[in-house]
Amino acid sequence: MNQLVAPAKSLDKSKTPGALFSTLSIPIAILVLVVIGSIASPSFLTVNNLTNVLNANSAVGLIALGMTFVMVSGGLADLSVPANVAMGALVTLGAQESMGTGLAALMGLLVASMGGVVNGILIGYLRINPIIATLGTGSVLLGLSQLLVGGGIVYAQPSALSTFVKSSILGIPVFIWIFIFVALILHPLLARTSFGRWSLAVGGNYQAAQASAVPVRFTKAAAFAMTGFLAGLCGVLLALSNGQARPIIGTGYEFVAITAVVIGGTSVFGGNGSVLRTVGGVLITALIGNLIILLGFPSQATGLITGAIVLGAVGIDAYFRRKAGRL
Amino acid sequence: MIARRNILVASAAATLLFAVAGCTAADSGTDSASGDAGSVEGKSICYVTLANSHPYVTPANEGAQAAADAAGVELTIVSEEFSAQTGAEQLNSCVSRGVDGILLWPADENSYLPGLLKAEQAGIPVVAIDTRAGDESMELIQSFAGADKYDQGKISAQQLDGALDSTGGIVVIAGQAGNGTEIARSGGFLDELESMGSGLEILATVNADFDQQKALVASRDLITKFGDQIEGVYAQDDTMAKGFLQALEESGLDFVPVVVGINGEAGAFDNIREGKQFSTILQPPFRNGELAIETLISVMKGETVPEMVPLENTIVDIDNVDDLEPAL
Amino acid sequence: MKNFDFALLGTRAVQYRLVIMLVAVAVFGGLSLDDFLTINTLQSVLDRATVVGFLALGLTPVLIAGQIDLSIGSMMSMAGITTIFMQPVIGNVPAAAAGVAVGILIGAVNALMVVVFKINSLVATLATLLIFASLALLLTNSYPLSSEDPIFGLPLTADFLWILTPRSAIFLTAAVLMFVWLKLTPTGRNLYAVGSDAPAATSSGINANGYIAASFVLSGFFAGLAGMMQSLSTAAGSPVAGAVMLIPAITAVVIGGTRLEGGRGSSLATLGGVLALGALTTALEYNGVPSYTQAIYTGLLLILLISLDRIVSGHGGASSRAQRSVRVAPRNTPLPRRNA
Repeated sequence: MNQLVAPAKSLDKSKTPGALFSTLSIPIAILVLVVIGSIASPSFLTVNNLTNVLNANSAVGLIALGMTFVMVSGGLADLSVPANVAMGALVTLGAQESMGTGLAALMGLLVASMGGVVNGILIGYLRINPIIATLGTGSVLLGLSQLLVGGGIVYAQPSALSTFVKSSILGIPVFIWIFIFVALILHPLLARTSFGRWSLAVGGNYQAAQASAVPVRFTKAAAFAMTGFLAGLCGVLLALSNGQARPIIGTGYEFVAITAVVIGGTSVFGGNGSVLRTVGGVLITALIGNLIILLGFPSQATGLITGAIVLGAVGIDAYFRRKAGRL
Repeated sequence: MIARRNILVASAAATLLFAVAGCTAADSGTDSASGDAGSVEGKSICYVTLANSHPYVTPANEGAQAAADAAGVELTIVSEEFSAQTGAEQLNSCVSRGVDGILLWPADENSYLPGLLKAEQAGIPVVAIDTRAGDESMELIQSFAGADKYDQGKISAQQLDGALDSTGGIVVIAGQAGNGTEIARSGGFLDELESMGSGLEILATVNADFDQQKALVASRDLITKFGDQIEGVYAQDDTMAKGFLQALEESGLDFVPVVVGINGEAGAFDNIREGKQFSTILQPPFRNGELAIETLISVMKGETVPEMVPLENTIVDIDNVDDLEPAL
Repeated sequence: MKNFDFALLGTRAVQYRLVIMLVAVAVFGGLSLDDFLTINTLQSVLDRATVVGFLALGLTPVLIAGQIDLSIGSMMSMAGITTIFMQPVIGNVPAAAAGVAVGILIGAVNALMVVVFKINSLVATLATLLIFASLALLLTNSYPLSSEDPIFGLPLTADFLWILTPRSAIFLTAAVLMFVWLKLTPTGRNLYAVGSDAPAATSSGINANGYIAASFVLSGFFAGLAGMMQSLSTAAGSPVAGAVMLIPAITAVVIGGTRLEGGRGSSLATLGGVLALGALTTALEYNGVPSYTQAIYTGLLLILLISLDRIVSGHGGASSRAQRSVRVAPRNTPLPRRNA
């Protein structure tokens, strides 16, 4: 019962091989991928391509940022992400004509966040298993979104907001700015605030955290509410930039997000992790996808390579953790 | 302990319920297709559709419902949601329900064969809509109502070849791999290029699953890799064509490849008017559904129908874009 | 606090949930359709439930052992394409065996990842899900394989014994056999012990790691069986056949009452869940309810059942149990004792 909280901090401070691997693995992996890329194709190391790579994954990256909190606090995973993305997108475009783009986008965010809040209540307060809860809410929400739209494509009206979303500031696409902005808010939230410490504590040892008067239920619930909001944001952004939306818009995003978080080194056990690591994970996933096309691999190989890397990364991490006596 | 007893009680109760009701219920095997020419009022059709919620399939379903209502036929729509295995199971269910006719939207070529054999044994006629099944399966199907996807592939090849004077590099943005539509549209395209002896060179083929976002992401990378070597683009539907055009616009690069798409979407019509897209092929979904049900009803009445009831493929390009209505 | 009657009612409702569900579905189906309560329909429901049923059965021991297996869909796809592919090579029956063997093999890979490399089962099976789904697409070039001998698998779904078809008969037999194993044999009881408290089980001399490994292999076996059966029944091996099956399988298991936390569960409960889900789906389908509305009902049902379960049983410490359930090897430090 005397479990210490947040083993991550101690892991980082110690100079064990495991800690070093943990800290360096992401930059090394990115470096390796960049090197492979430059050898593979002359067009890889261009501003255009690299911008594309970041741009393509910024929307999904937002979800990965939220998923970090879910995992860190021991919430395992949020499988309702595709439904929240769809809701965000569809509500925004659906309400655009009657409410104006800005308000419609806010409505979309609101609906998706509510989905996240429901998850939070079920998981944080009713203590229902997150996998089941999010599967359930995801089913309901996705079904609802299809019911509302009746099967068609919802087209967007041209609007100032969508032009803005598709534009670039200082040569960097707005999508990337938004991702950076959210990451800059969330990283210190996890690393430096009380809420961040609570999240790490709840994931590390629920009972101990509860005993130390950490608002455990709220913390767990908040992680899911946050992910719901970010998934909705992703949907809103995609809808505005693509000019249209369909209920399948978010398919597979939950797996991409989970993969990015795991590759970044956050443990599914909970109790350690950082938003910065997830950013690294997003970058790695993005580079893999880009390289597959540039190297001419069949696109079906993406899952194979990603899965293998996940196993490798987690396996090595588990190996070091075991050596350090933490498993 | 209690749970175990519960299960046994539950199963026994349920089985008993079914059995008792079954003995007293009407015979579930209605006289299906007894060659009763004439009225189909009150008969039942089971329609295994591709999806309940899809920009093309939904209007097709509505068309089917409209045609069924007009003929006084009871239509039950079940959706396989893009999974052939689910559809095969649903086909079996339809057969065991003893309906009078079955309309099937094959999600792949061969998974329905056993179900079709059963339908044949039970004397229930089957008509296929929109996508062909494999040859063996088609022998068990009375007729096929839909656009000729293979032909669409051929037409696209002709379009690109003509517009590019038979030389140049092209990329193919294909639909979901393994999907019947994708197989047909790819097959028709490749076969036609070969038989024309076309000088077009396929730089790359990507699968974007008929999804705009996936096409966008793949296109960005294609443009990065090949740049202006891409002189032509064959997108197997307009949504994916739109994804490519979006990527092109983002890249800011200054070349205009010849883009051909399929489906006749409203967005594509606009793009054609603006000169960004070269052409599309009109394929009206509502009419597709109507036509399929009408064909099935003809079969149920005992009339002979042609093996294929085609939905016309209409090419839409800058010349006639203002004269026609988009399909969706 | 709570009105005593409500509490009791709630508890009974949860215990008898399967009976209530089946009766409710039967009533709903019977009232809304005139051909629902027939032998034909029952046979159809049982038959269609078979494939999901095998997956759910395979998932049950894994969950009891406190793990999770997300890769069952991919294992099923791999088994299916193997079966069809091998038919012209080694003959129909050996090909079917090969399909099942592939499932066992991948299950062994999962076991290796979880037990030897100590990777969390959620992550490990998520990774194998991705890897083998991808592999299936690559091997078949994304096209479904057609069987060279479509007649072979046909009898699987033919009339067999009253309300059974050969494959549903095999499924029911497997469910009963698993029940016998789990509840009536020492090894079965050991599995529950491992799932409840792995370190404690190890201390009492049970080879927890061995049981956990075995549960993954078993899951692979059943997924292989599911894939083999389905590919033979449809005379086609589809690389994506299993992708849509994961969620219905988990739903069926949860409806049945097996918890995701480990230490509890029953194959008959899973069987009940599979049947209830199958009957509900059929009733809704025959009524022409669109699949997205079905998803809403299923999702609500899932949430309702699990919420009732939680409220009624009032199990505390769910999250730590969930966390503990994904750990594998005994720790150096003793875990805090869990209260009932």
